[in-house]
Amino acid sequence: MLEIRNLHVAVEGKDILKGLSLSILPGQVHAIMGPNGSGKSTLSYVLAGRAGYDITEGSILFNGEDLAAMPPEERAAKGVFLAMQYPVEIPGVTTMTFLKTALNAQRRQRGEPDLDAVGVLKLVRAKARTLNISEEMLRRALNVGFSGGEKKRMEILQMALFEPRLAILDETDSGLDIDALRLVAEGVNALRSPQRAMLVITHYQRLLDYIVPDRIHVLARGRIVAEGGKELALELEAKGYEHIVGRAA
Amino acid sequence: MTMLAAKSWDGRREEARTVFEGRGLPTRRVEEWKYSDLKSALGEAGLGSEAAATRIMGLPPGVEISDLGHPHPPAWVAQHAGTLARNAVSEASLAFAEGGIALRVPAGRAITTPLALELTGKGHVRLLLVLEASASLSLFETGDAADPRNAGIEIVLGEGASLEHVRLARAVPGVQVEEIALKLAAKARYNAHFANFGGKLSRTELTISLEGEGAEAHLSGVSVLGEAAHADITTHVIHRKGDTTSTQLFKKVAGGKARAVYQGKVTVAKGADGADSRQTAKALLLSEAAEADLKPELEIFADDVKCAHGAAIGDLEAEQLFYLRARGIPEAEARALLIHAFLEDALSGIAREDVRGMVRTAVGQALEALT
Repeated sequence: MLEIRNLHVAVEGKDILKGLSLSILPGQVHAIMGPNGSGKSTLSYVLAGRAGYDITEGSILFNGEDLAAMPPEERAAKGVFLAMQYPVEIPGVTTMTFLKTALNAQRRQRGEPDLDAVGVLKLVRAKARTLNISEEMLRRALNVGFSGGEKKRMEILQMALFEPRLAILDETDSGLDIDALRLVAEGVNALRSPQRAMLVITHYQRLLDYIVPDRIHVLARGRIVAEGGKELALELEAKGYEHIVGRAA
Repeated sequence: MTMLAAKSWDGRREEARTVFEGRGLPTRRVEEWKYSDLKSALGEAGLGSEAAATRIMGLPPGVEISDLGHPHPPAWVAQHAGTLARNAVSEASLAFAEGGIALRVPAGRAITTPLALELTGKGHVRLLLVLEASASLSLFETGDAADPRNAGIEIVLGEGASLEHVRLARAVPGVQVEEIALKLAAKARYNAHFANFGGKLSRTELTISLEGEGAEAHLSGVSVLGEAAHADITTHVIHRKGDTTSTQLFKKVAGGKARAVYQGKVTVAKGADGADSRQTAKALLLSEAAEADLKPELEIFADDVKCAHGAAIGDLEAEQLFYLRARGIPEAEARALLIHAFLEDALSGIAREDVRGMVRTAVGQALEALT
């Protein structure tokens, strides 16, 4: 589903990713772990199509198509979803209006008919309930005045609503207490399916207790320096990044 | 008595004419006109001396109407017409508008149907609106594109009276200026919104005198300006008594070579303790050549007051734009959504839902033309 080959990315002329390769098949959950500054967030942004992240070498194929050539909205419509580390506040746009606009914008690009307001409302309510998101939150401006946990749950609600084929979760665990983490992880696990792939980016092993990955990749200095099964997370937790990063260097 | 009053209306007009002809049109050297070069926008012809007209679309029952130029005006007209704050340009409307509409809502009357009023034709026009104690009214003001037009509006709010005033000024090719002078008695409330789409020179100037304790003025406005449009909103709120409140929230979107101006002065007079005033003006510039001049200003002579002001000029937030696009919303649609969102809090200041709907539609059309 996702095929990254020898990816080099520069931000403001500075090389951040230096030859990253990664392959994810449908139904798989991969985790990327790495110390601060290793390029984790750069990878998530370059997959979502944020401006200012220049691919200087290599390629990203999504279901055989050149992802890098598509604007962010087209990637979303084709099924790429990034749950952001810092969800953005949008004053003046209610959460419900945003969800409806985004859902229909994606549908339109896929040649599907718009859902009417009632249809969207029903869909959102059903999904919001399981994530403990209140009606009141849906009426508020998007992410404005939301707590850290509420923002992350809102990201997962969007993921549930848009039903992406590839979901990238960027530090979804950061700033969450254990109850919020469990709620978010349950939401993510409910979306695991043979047709969907996930890329979980995290600094800590904690999240991977709840969202158990098929493969773990360790990112350091812009490259994958170690790979393994879920037991690799435990090794990292026990011995620290220095141990593995140092070993690879 | 009425003869005397009639004579004094003519007397006031005569006096205004002398003053106007003595001073002439304001130039950019006059501080309040620094960003709006009226004299050069009008050219040789100036403001002229013709009279424009006011059209009322169905007078709601309970509203009394009279003519400012009536030889024997009722006492409420004679008492107030031509008495409120004047500036160089309102002297001209007083001098040259031949008559004008005077409206009164008697004490205690609550008028629920909005009063729709349209200014038409070129030249000078005057309006007097008097709400007696505890009366209430919603005024919806529009105008045609004729130019130049100079409107002078006087509004008197009695104790506990409440006026909602929404002005929807369409985009005009030429020059339109409007001066609104108000005085508010104790506990009176003025809730106003000014939507403006600009002109060669378009200016709304408000002078609001809060003369009784507990009087409140809440002003909001949006400007959506494209091409070479200019729109200026200039306000002066004077807190003369204690426990008076004023809020102002003006939002402007400018593209092309447009120029958005906000000048807001709040004066708190000596002894007006407990006065509370807030001023916010923000502009979103969509092009390199667009310009915004935002100038909030405070003048405080009292000791115990709460005053806050702020102004900001910026572009759309790249982070917000990316977030929306990453959720599948195409760039043009995402930009439009964010611009609407920027204006939203100013628009929500319009209390009546039907009127708010009309303003929203006009704003939507102007934004579509702009983006």
